[in-house]
Amino acid sequence: MGKEWQTFVRKFDDMKDGELDLFIKDLTPGPTKYNTRHVRAKVAKSTDAQSDGDLLWIRSESGMTALEPCSIKILEELPEWVPGRPWENVLDIMEKINKGKPKVR
Amino acid sequence: MVFKDHRDFFELLDKEGELVRIVREVDWDLEVGAIGRRVYERQGPCLLFEKIKDYPKGFRISNGTTGTWARVALAMGLPKNASVREIYRVYEERLKVKIPPRIVKKEAAPCKENIMTGDDVDLFKFPSPMIHDGDGGRYIGTWDIVVSKDPDRHWTNWGMYRFMVHTKNWLTGWPQTTSQLALMFKERYLPKNQPMPVAIVLGADPISHIMATAPIGIQESEVEYVGGIRGEPVELVPCETIDLLVPAHAEIVIEGELLPDKIAPDGPFGEYPGYRSGTMCEGVAVKVKAVTYRSAPIVTMISLGVPPDDASIAASLTAAVSMKNGLLRRGVPVTEVYVPPEGVTHLIVVGVKKGGADIARKVLDYFTARRVMTNKHIVVDEDVDVFNMAEVLHAFATKCHPGRGIAYEWYEGRANSLTPFYSPEERKRLKGVSVVFDSTWPPEWPKDIVPVKASFRTIYSQETQERVIMNWEKYGLK
Repeated sequence: MGKEWQTFVRKFDDMKDGELDLFIKDLTPGPTKYNTRHVRAKVAKSTDAQSDGDLLWIRSESGMTALEPCSIKILEELPEWVPGRPWENVLDIMEKINKGKPKVR
Repeated sequence: MVFKDHRDFFELLDKEGELVRIVREVDWDLEVGAIGRRVYERQGPCLLFEKIKDYPKGFRISNGTTGTWARVALAMGLPKNASVREIYRVYEERLKVKIPPRIVKKEAAPCKENIMTGDDVDLFKFPSPMIHDGDGGRYIGTWDIVVSKDPDRHWTNWGMYRFMVHTKNWLTGWPQTTSQLALMFKERYLPKNQPMPVAIVLGADPISHIMATAPIGIQESEVEYVGGIRGEPVELVPCETIDLLVPAHAEIVIEGELLPDKIAPDGPFGEYPGYRSGTMCEGVAVKVKAVTYRSAPIVTMISLGVPPDDASIAASLTAAVSMKNGLLRRGVPVTEVYVPPEGVTHLIVVGVKKGGADIARKVLDYFTARRVMTNKHIVVDEDVDVFNMAEVLHAFATKCHPGRGIAYEWYEGRANSLTPFYSPEERKRLKGVSVVFDSTWPPEWPKDIVPVKASFRTIYSQETQERVIMNWEKYGLK
């Protein structure tokens, strides 16, 4: 069984399929649980569509969990941060970064 | 008694029956948060979790150090049954004296017993709790003191802001954009694209944490007020990697730089108004350069949420006196101000010698002039005990005219984005509204038409009252 990860979006509908940059939290039990990784990954909203991926749980801005997890395959590790000024909206920056990426590979 | 640190305060709490040491192993992942929350909601004791899953013996977590008025009283050296009014009075009195801190050598600073720097920094070495189910991460900074310095004004600020473990050597956090830390950073560091040194301090003496919540003016240093309240200077020690001074007796000190050009997600987090309301991914990132800590360190947690808890109690004390002084400066004839913990600094009660619409307007003007953290203000006559919410509610229900007695004011760019009733758009624009409820008699009413309050103390003559009191037990009453 693959690993489990978690990411936050404003609303569940904001989660998209395709190759994305995103911050994910490692849900592996132990002292480093919830460590954050910034990755480029291939995400499928349906786990059937990418059955060999890890599980990615989605939480909304209020902390609610989506009923069904997505599938994620990590393609590349990125730095712990994104360029931006303090108090800028990280999700807006990520959206701009992801707009340039292909929807599905 | 003056407490140098958390540990000697815990000794007193132990003696007073205000501390429970939990020796059974507990999970840092939600279990400690849930226990802490339930204890707050029962107004129970301070907790010290002594065995944490995944962590070696000695690495501990506390919750609720001064989470009740009794423990605030003890921290101030008062009897634990001191009334809230008495705690306010003593606090206000002691604020008049400032005692500068004393700088001590590294050898005399317990917070230097262990030091990790550079690549050795690993925040996962500490049992940072996952406090609420659904939070954005593990919040190591809740009951903390965040130290920053304005290099031009030579002013050191202490504040209390949330900080989350992002990775082993990065933190993310969310000081509000209207906070003193944010203003300092935007004025002094951001224009030069410079990182701002910050120290996140856990487990200093209890008064230092309480004062980190105080709305003290720019260029004033909280540490001097802490000295005044304690009657003894706070001992500070220089950081290892940044030019800041921190409490020498702290449990853990995280030294880092708040970066001007890099950000990462923070939140969401169950915050002090008692909700997790969508504030996330709009904070700051801190690269950690060093962590110094005592042996057997204590991560000082508050499982924030619905009041009362440490945050709502501390803010009640520190905000009220500041508000009272501010209102007096504006010419409001204030008698007392009470910030009920249940109102989480959203609801304020102001007692006045003389009320009326003009005074109510002045109260509203004061509370909306700058950064606005409050939104509902009840003004009552001086015969109402502001600390007695039953009396306040009675005055509000019976004296506030729904047409003439309510005034409100909209503003933008300075509202409290944690206020749960604001829409996402209002939060984004920091657009808010505040209201004043004039629950006083109009001063222009002739005395002979003012309704007489039908209470024992107000509707009977002194002679009748004395007779009834004198004969009370003879009536067969206790």
